[in-house]
Amino acid sequence: MNHEIQYFRPNTLKEAASFFSDNPFAYPIAGGTDILVKWKNGGLPQLSHFVDVRKIVPSMIVKENGKVIIGAGCAMNVLALDPFIAGNFPALSSAAWSVGSFQIRNMATIGGNVANASPAGDTIPALLALDANVILGNSAGTRKIPILEFFSGPGKTVLKRGDLIEGFEVKNCQTKGAFLKLGTRASNAISKVSLALSIFESKLGSSEFRIALGAVASTVIRCKKAETILGESSAPFSNEVLNEAMVAVQEISKPIDDIRSAKVYRKKMAGVLLKRALIALRLVSSSVD
Amino acid sequence: MKKNQLVVQFKLNGRMVSSEVSPTMTMLDLLREKFFLTATKEGCGKGECGACTILLNGLPVNSCLQLAAALSPEDEVTSLEGLVFDPLLKKIQNSFVQEGAVQCGFCTPGMLVSSYAVLKSKKNPSDQDIKEGLAGNICRCTGYMKIMSAVKKAATEE
Ligand SMILES: Cc1cc2nc3c(=O)[nH]c(=O)nc-3n(C[C@H](O)[C@H](O)[C@H](O)COP(=O)(O)OP(=O)(O)OC[C@H]3O[C@@H](n4cnc5c(N)ncnc54)[C@H](O)[C@@H]3O)c2cc1C
Ligand code: FES
Ligand code: FES
Repeated sequence: MNHEIQYFRPNTLKEAASFFSDNPFAYPIAGGTDILVKWKNGGLPQLSHFVDVRKIVPSMIVKENGKVIIGAGCAMNVLALDPFIAGNFPALSSAAWSVGSFQIRNMATIGGNVANASPAGDTIPALLALDANVILGNSAGTRKIPILEFFSGPGKTVLKRGDLIEGFEVKNCQTKGAFLKLGTRASNAISKVSLALSIFESKLGSSEFRIALGAVASTVIRCKKAETILGESSAPFSNEVLNEAMVAVQEISKPIDDIRSAKVYRKKMAGVLLKRALIALRLVSSSVD
Repeated sequence: MKKNQLVVQFKLNGRMVSSEVSPTMTMLDLLREKFFLTATKEGCGKGECGACTILLNGLPVNSCLQLAAALSPEDEVTSLEGLVFDPLLKKIQNSFVQEGAVQCGFCTPGMLVSSYAVLKSKKNPSDQDIKEGLAGNICRCTGYMKIMSAVKKAATEE
């Protein structure tokens, strides 16, 4: 931390990209709530520049061509309090609202949450449960990849030097959903385990389920088995169906023991969160135990 | 100008100001060390305690996690000092005193800024609104009950 660190604010994506290729230890900064803490903790010994991307990364929520595009620079409070997002993508809205505190949510961006790639990043399971695409930009142009292919390990993504996340694309439709997490406290606590559930309903009356889990593996994961179990049964779900889905969610969870929680607890609670989400959406009776 | 310094211009408590800052200086250090505005406190330095809460363009943020270098002339920073002539703050201060919501006082400036932000955005906040608004402010002393009742009192008083 002794060498002098510089601050740079590019005006265009191109300018940023060439800066990143000239400076291998320059890092993007958006809300700063992850990277400044990491740096203050001594976690970025080689850091040369903070490259402020807030000017060049979109932060609006726009609807076009049947898609909704959420700018990477969108702050958590803006996302959580947006009536369209709350009405159509409730899992994402409540995930954003669950982040940190009111102050943190005014700074923290969704792009930073995803780029940081923590297995406990709260908007990540919500984006997975919405089949979101990540829109990436660099000097060569933009490209899209499914969010499921974006993460390669804890803190690791497919982002290459000079790539920035520009936003997230989801289908413009109405979903039902929920996001639940367990932490040590209600606010400013990193998730021990989290679950996002979204339901896409077709006109023919069938429902497609998406279930994603945070903090139970090296990246956020989806549980396709539980999705199928629920999708092929009809609500309200019987105890057998519920149990089968809970077991599927527990089986796919390969959590670790760490300072925040224990393996067995996380695994067990992954199932419990699924049950709670289904109860909240009135898809099982709340009398199930 | 010293090497590696930047000049920032921004609106501070209603007045356009400029200052030399180092690239890694936080807004918290800028307020305290360059402008000698010391109401804003450093508790944890990591976004967890809220003692450093300021309003940036009207929204409460943790000034320990904001780089001063990012400020530009369109930005408006309001520290607790900038609110002292505001009748709403006066009302909140009075109710904090009357309800005994201040003990050591270290968290108080941040609590006041967060309470101000809650009451500025909602005239009749619910208990839940107040809790959400103050969830990022930690107090070691009061146990929060008195702070809650102080904010509720300020909300209901004319
Ligand atoms: C007190 C506290 C509580 C918190 N609570 C939670 C919580 O409850 N849930 C949760 O999920 N997180 C939490 N966090 C973590 C953090 O707030 C979030 O991950 C936040 O969304 C990060 O966004 P940011 O804009 O602040 O990112 P930054 O810190 O600015 O950046 C984070 C990382 O992403 C990179 N980056 C930023 N923007 C882009 C972009 N557009 N393209 C490519 N790379 C980019 C940066 O280089 C950096 O590596 C908390 C943090 C604090 C300090
Ligand atoms: S000093 Fe900023 S949150 Fe504690
Ligand atoms: S009064 Fe002492 S920390 Fe709140």
